[in-house]
Amino acid sequence: MLRSPTGEATLTDAIQVEDLEKTYPPAVRAVQGVSFAVHPGEIFGFLGPNGAGKTTTVSMLTTLLRPTKGRAAVAGLDVAEQPAEVRREIGLVFQDSTADGELTGRENMILAGGLFGMRPSECRGRIDELLGRMDLTEAADRRVKGYSGGMKRRLELAVAMVHTPKILFLDEPTIGLDPQGRAGFWRYIKELRQEQQVTIFMTTHYLDEVENLCDRIAIIDHGRIIASGTNDSLKERVGGDLVELRVPADGADLTETLGSVPGVREVSREANIYRVKCPRAEGLVSALVKACDLAGVTVEGVTVQRPSIDRVFLELTGKAYREEGYDDGRAAQASVFHTRGRGGR
Amino acid sequence: MLVELTALIRREYLRWIRAPMWIVAGLMTPILYLLLFGQAFNLGALVGNVPGGPVVLSRALWGAPDYFSYFAVGMVGLVAVTSALFAGTGVIFDKQLGIMQRTIATPVRRSTIFASILIFRGFLVVLPIFIVLGLALTFAHIPGLVGLTVTQPVGADGVAEVVLAIFILAIAFTSLFLAFGFLFARVESYFGVVNLLNLPILFTSNALYPVGTEPAWLQNITAYNPISLAVDVMRETFFGTTYYPHPVLVYLLGLLAWAAALVAVALLLAARALATK
Repeated sequence: MLRSPTGEATLTDAIQVEDLEKTYPPAVRAVQGVSFAVHPGEIFGFLGPNGAGKTTTVSMLTTLLRPTKGRAAVAGLDVAEQPAEVRREIGLVFQDSTADGELTGRENMILAGGLFGMRPSECRGRIDELLGRMDLTEAADRRVKGYSGGMKRRLELAVAMVHTPKILFLDEPTIGLDPQGRAGFWRYIKELRQEQQVTIFMTTHYLDEVENLCDRIAIIDHGRIIASGTNDSLKERVGGDLVELRVPADGADLTETLGSVPGVREVSREANIYRVKCPRAEGLVSALVKACDLAGVTVEGVTVQRPSIDRVFLELTGKAYREEGYDDGRAAQASVFHTRGRGGR
Repeated sequence: MLVELTALIRREYLRWIRAPMWIVAGLMTPILYLLLFGQAFNLGALVGNVPGGPVVLSRALWGAPDYFSYFAVGMVGLVAVTSALFAGTGVIFDKQLGIMQRTIATPVRRSTIFASILIFRGFLVVLPIFIVLGLALTFAHIPGLVGLTVTQPVGADGVAEVVLAIFILAIAFTSLFLAFGFLFARVESYFGVVNLLNLPILFTSNALYPVGTEPAWLQNITAYNPISLAVDVMRETFFGTTYYPHPVLVYLLGLLAWAAALVAVALLLAARALATK
């Protein structure tokens, strides 16, 4: 159990991680000393590109991997010293479906209950409730191999919840789902959190997932946490909105002119595009366009970007967020062709 | 612990019962052996009319009245190996599909996981053995068919010894192949090794042919083969003690030693495969 500096056990946090490290022999440092805390009842997002160390971290928190260094407490229990007790308190949804395709949804859930020492008669009510919650009542007695991708994901959620865990771990839960399926899955997660009072720790490499679903996030890259906090607090870091002005290629330099407009924080230029950072773009756009006009340059196009997590990533690492090989994170959202490669390790 | 064990075995059972082709094919092979090979291969007819032939034959067949009776008991060993050699495949598939990972992430004891697999896979080995043995005994009472003829009265203790030998043999071979299932990550590697083992195990046993004509070195190996030990228990019980150097109990103990060793190896590899890395 983790101890606070005064030596008392601190049970307030659902998950406490201190300086956690995992090195795969001979010297692959998959996770290099991460620390964070997850509060009870929140949805905590662990965001990072593939290979950043997300799955390795989850595996350590769920007792499937032994930490090389550092400490982690889940539900107040040390993962290295009390793995069996930790397993009682957690539910798991893996990247790939782990339900047995030859069994029906209900049979898979009865099996899951059985693994936690519940007789089929003891968990029948709970199973019916969860099947209903996940809209799987109709499919409950069909074999899982015939389920759609979305149904399989929902069944994984239901299976993970049979024993009423305190903390639910989701490792890339929406990988392989189309955008519609993902949005639907978020709704189920939110409802589950609300009704079951469960703390949710999820890894993801989708930016929109953390923006839509998570209360707080930590961003991990190359085995280190590079930022953490609420979505808003992270966005504040990147300094508000970004206005992009496109001008004709042959115009005079406007960097100084734009920089002198009240409310502008920073101006940069890339070929015929000016990027203007400002706390709020509202009311400023027309002033910027007017300033260009006065300088004799006609603005051809204006775009306004709200602060986003991918901009946070860009600011912190100096490189665009990689989402499954796309340099532009937003582009990946439109693609449904995600490879089912195992991220992490 | 019993709840967890039942849940795990129930899953294996449901998977099995839903693949009927698998079951039919598994049971048909030994039955075809009995019906075709066993009926056709009549050693007795070759020597039967020569003066003194029956005595020679009886000695060669270690007391069995005919080749079919000799061979039908040996079939127990053959069926044990051929059904057990699939035992490890389930483990490999579970590892590949992440089902093993999910199971490990629950509070279920590792020994319970192992026990559930051994019990169910052992059942899949024992089942065809009893079917084959029952069929062979039935054949003896069907006109026109050769069957397994028991030449001496078998009491309750005899039956118990035969049943015990079958169970211990099944546990031994199931453990052997489970060990490879826990060891290998891919089915290809698994079957590579299993196919390599399969024939030497059978051919260094007394299951299929009379061992008296073998060279001495081979006879020495044969005597300690687990199949031979189980088969000796049954033949001595069915055909009398005349040709057997040891009482049934000695063979049973030898068999038990094999089973204990193989279970230990399988447990060790299972513990490694199910451990936190």
